[in-house]
Amino acid sequence: MSSIAEGFPPAAKNRDRRLSDEAFITILVGAVAVGLFLVASLLVPNFFQFQNMVNLVTNNWAVISLGVGVTFLLVSGNFDLSVGGVVALSGVLSVWLAQAAGGANPLSTGLGLPYPLAVAGALGGALAIGALNALFVVQFRVPSIIVTLGTMMLARGVAQVITHGSQRNTNLPVEFGVLGNLTVFGASIKLPVVLMAALLIAAVFIEKKTVFGRITYWVGSNPVAATLSGIDRARHVARLYLFSATIAGVVGVLLASEFKSGYSNRGTLMEFDALVIALLGGVAIAGGFGSVLGMFFGAIILAIVTSAATGLVLSPDWQYTLKAIAVFLAIMTQTWALARRNR
Amino acid sequence: MLDLIDDKAQQTEVVLSVSDLTRTFPGVRAVDAVSFSVRRGTVHCLVGENGAGKSTLVKMLTGALRPTSGAMRINGAEYDPTNPQDARQCGIATLFQELHVVDELTVLENLTLGMERSRFGFLVRSDLEDRVVSTLKAIEPSIDPAARVSSLSVAQKQIVEISRAASSGASVIIMDEPTAALSEREVDRLFAVIRRLRAAAVTVIYISHKLDEIFALGGFVTVLRDGKHIATRPLAEVAGRAALIEMMIGRTVFQSYTPRDGVGDEIILTARGLTNGVLRDVSFDIRQGEIVGFYGLVGAGKTEIARALFGVDRFAGSVTFKGRPVGNSPKGAIASGVALVPEERRTQGLFTSLTIRENIPVMNLRRMSRAGIYRKAEEIAAATDFVRRLRISTDSINKRAEKLSGGNQQKVVLAKCLFSEAELLLLDEPTRGVDVGAKSEIYDIIRDLADAGNSIAVFSSELDEALGLCDRIFLLFSGRLQAVVVNGPDVDVAHVLHVVTGGTEGTVE
Amino acid sequence: MIAMADASNLTPHAKARGGRTAEFLRNYYIYFVLIAVVALLSTANLDKFGLFERGNFLNQYNIINFLRVSAPILTISAAFTLLMVSGHIDLSVGSAMSLSAVVYALLAINGAPFLAAFAITVVLGVALGAINGFLVVRLRITPVIATLITLSLYKGVALLLVEDGVSAIKSGGGQSMPGWINDYGRDGAFLSLPAAFWVAVGVTIVLMIAQDRSLLGKYAVATGGNPTAARLAGINTGRIVFVLYVIVGATAALAGVARASFMSLGDPLSGDGMELTAILVVLLGGTAFSGGEGRVLRSFVGALIVMALTVGMLTIVPAYYQTLVIGAALLAAAASNHLVSRKGRSQ
Repeated sequence: MSSIAEGFPPAAKNRDRRLSDEAFITILVGAVAVGLFLVASLLVPNFFQFQNMVNLVTNNWAVISLGVGVTFLLVSGNFDLSVGGVVALSGVLSVWLAQAAGGANPLSTGLGLPYPLAVAGALGGALAIGALNALFVVQFRVPSIIVTLGTMMLARGVAQVITHGSQRNTNLPVEFGVLGNLTVFGASIKLPVVLMAALLIAAVFIEKKTVFGRITYWVGSNPVAATLSGIDRARHVARLYLFSATIAGVVGVLLASEFKSGYSNRGTLMEFDALVIALLGGVAIAGGFGSVLGMFFGAIILAIVTSAATGLVLSPDWQYTLKAIAVFLAIMTQTWALARRNR
Repeated sequence: MLDLIDDKAQQTEVVLSVSDLTRTFPGVRAVDAVSFSVRRGTVHCLVGENGAGKSTLVKMLTGALRPTSGAMRINGAEYDPTNPQDARQCGIATLFQELHVVDELTVLENLTLGMERSRFGFLVRSDLEDRVVSTLKAIEPSIDPAARVSSLSVAQKQIVEISRAASSGASVIIMDEPTAALSEREVDRLFAVIRRLRAAAVTVIYISHKLDEIFALGGFVTVLRDGKHIATRPLAEVAGRAALIEMMIGRTVFQSYTPRDGVGDEIILTARGLTNGVLRDVSFDIRQGEIVGFYGLVGAGKTEIARALFGVDRFAGSVTFKGRPVGNSPKGAIASGVALVPEERRTQGLFTSLTIRENIPVMNLRRMSRAGIYRKAEEIAAATDFVRRLRISTDSINKRAEKLSGGNQQKVVLAKCLFSEAELLLLDEPTRGVDVGAKSEIYDIIRDLADAGNSIAVFSSELDEALGLCDRIFLLFSGRLQAVVVNGPDVDVAHVLHVVTGGTEGTVE
Repeated sequence: MIAMADASNLTPHAKARGGRTAEFLRNYYIYFVLIAVVALLSTANLDKFGLFERGNFLNQYNIINFLRVSAPILTISAAFTLLMVSGHIDLSVGSAMSLSAVVYALLAINGAPFLAAFAITVVLGVALGAINGFLVVRLRITPVIATLITLSLYKGVALLLVEDGVSAIKSGGGQSMPGWINDYGRDGAFLSLPAAFWVAVGVTIVLMIAQDRSLLGKYAVATGGNPTAARLAGINTGRIVFVLYVIVGATAALAGVARASFMSLGDPLSGDGMELTAILVVLLGGTAFSGGEGRVLRSFVGALIVMALTVGMLTIVPAYYQTLVIGAALLAAAASNHLVSRKGRSQ
């Protein structure tokens, strides 16, 4: 039996030089990031320093890491606003599980599990939230924004119950504080930053080079067509929610380790910042468009804008206003640039 | 509102006329210098094969398309609508297949929507309510004006929309295949409504392929063929179905079908007793290397057969493909060697936000990957190859699919299916919304594929397509497989049309 | 196509009967929930909680206290319902409320008379709503993103209005709030309840009437239910949506005034999370996320339930259970909405 695809001769040499719209937007966002950096270097005293450049990334390792899961979900056409809550939940869980049993008061009494088990338990809690997201979005077909707002509160709520609304930071084993404070490359870069870099590389690889990444775009671009093309959409979206929750869980564990405490308000508004950097990076909430690299550049843009602004004259209170203006300008510019390019 | 007017007097007055109306698209004169007039208080049927220009004509009447040249007049005045609201204000309302009622409002609220009387933004009771209710009662007394529209059947919703049009002062109501989703009893009720409208001096332009309905309604008929006006006559002067079909076909030469000798003996797919919400006991076989056609009107069950074979919809009965049951999901169907080009290109087939290159490999991930790693070089090669072979006109494989023309988009969807290496291709309306050039290219591709040993099922509502392409044609009417025609020079085209339009003495081989 | 054919096979009678149970559930369950919550709280032993007067939850002091802290959400929920009915969402209500509270407190502390401060703040709310409307209707930014932008913007401006290092606009440092600051939101005006509560009731009554008897109410349903049909009927759906955003903005300002007046200060974080409470309240009231469905009165009852739960929970569990319960309630409301509407459709 002759198959249809084999009925065609091998492809001719590819001379196609046109960039896809997505690559175009990513480059645009990257160029804006570099441009902003140069402008900031000219205007802001002491901005153009190596350490400052490093800080732009290292100060934001948590949000950038969360941005990876959020970006994948946005590309698949779904929101994930639960990540900030999951950060709090897993951090608090890791503390509570690792705290020695039989402390002086309820907040210093934990379950006394070995640290690895505590981490496993924390990640289990994170995955449970991810599974809830998947259940409500995929099975009950509730809009993802409402589901993940609910699970955001649920996760943070559990964290608040465990910490009685404040934090747990006593009676911890010594190894608890190791992971988050480990430094590499001559004590200048923390382990979490290295993990973030590894995650970014892995995410770009998954996005560009694996079937999993490609399926994400198909599902987000046209869910019906994806199903009719043999893609198991429900399973894929469920996996993405678990993926995002796992990242958030690890971030939570690392932050808890860094501060040697489980604080129930940790990660507040991180879900919002993760969404903001994805939007700045050209990810479309309609699904099927955007990239992890763009999200990374978006994070850099936001970091430059906020740090340059505070380095100039503005108080840190400007950050909300600046974010709003930046997202607004980014959306308008990207829409305009794409319309112009495809005219 | 619905006052009875003397029949004879009203029926001589012209309510709507078109003269030399022409609409061209690149390479086609979809409507070519059409002139006819419609009299007040009559039912005026519009018939013609698919592609004869009916829908283009209707789009011009409703303001969705502007004519290239020619003129329209309504109630004696120039008529040049730029959008459907315009058309409504000039007195032309349209009953689309997709209903425009608000489910969450009551019947009465729907009837007055957009016409309310108000003071300071608050609704005031006026004679409007009484007027619309009495119109509704005159048309269909059984519908409760206080009921929520979501609790009504499709047929009842249609009637709500019709009485809305009637009470908003529409002098012409266009109905585009209104019975496609109705049961027989509901069709009778709709016809009673149409007769009452006629009695109230409202003109109904009725578009349908079901010839029995047209004869049942009476009035006038205008026949279009290849964009041209063939005749406008009182139905009483048309000597039966055969004569009407004769006018619709008007030629003996169809797109030439040359018998193919690639058809094998091996039966590749067997379907037995397919039955679901639409289908009624449908059984057939498809042979290896064969092009079979499923031909029928809108709502006859073509898409449902395609979806059943592809594992999308549930059904009773059995389908075996190469001796094994097909999967109950598209994924399973694709794995066993079946691929579908769906009916709705933009919503079901194409990934519009992605590039041509990214669209193509989705149905064959096994070939696109090694251990989960995506082979981009393969993707580029495949896309480049398909762009060349299928003559997809684009300057780049990295162009977003939404920027392509309809024909090129369809070729991308086709390429997607071809890449799946399927042995049986299900093509649902493969050339809908595709220009003539791309159309014949797609036909060539289909023949080549069949000659290479693949089996193709074409689901089409275009007679030309079925007769020009298919080795055998299954004729469908209202969910039943009525007859099988072996294509050849001596096919009785009139008989085919007779069967698919609901003719009773269909013969099954 | 298939769905249409299926629907035509159903006899209207069978469909109506199946729908009636769902319809009844949709229409009345909320009142039973309210009764149940109140009954539960009335049986709880309040004696050991300092927050409450001794004795029953249903004594005068407790009810007054409960209703006046509920004034902000009661004010917002009606307009928010109409906006959701039109198929749109406003995530910026909390920030608009915060900004209004800050502006109102600023005006008050700087010597503006009550009426001027009140009027200016409401006009500000109208402007904030108009910005949302402009972004959504004119610039065609998706409602979620547009109002996320303004969420950040309004909150940012509110923070900027409060001097560095100071957490809120309040008495101290040579300035003090005027004597009338509590008049609107805290002190009893009628039946011992403050004006803010009666304004909330008034807004709800006006919008209830508007929902049933005005063009706006009807066109909101049409816009959310079937936008194409609405436009075909000659309705300017963009204008409807714009007006609804403006009304939501105005009620957010009223809520801000109520909160500032109750607390005697302008807190730039006072509206945080209000958008979530508003979503929870309207979902609890049976409003569909897809638009078209929703009743103002039921959202009002939904708001009472949420507040009763929030306040009443303090009698049973510590305050830090609040987020968990609200999150769980939001998920439960979303899931039950889904189940009810699914039932209505499939039968």
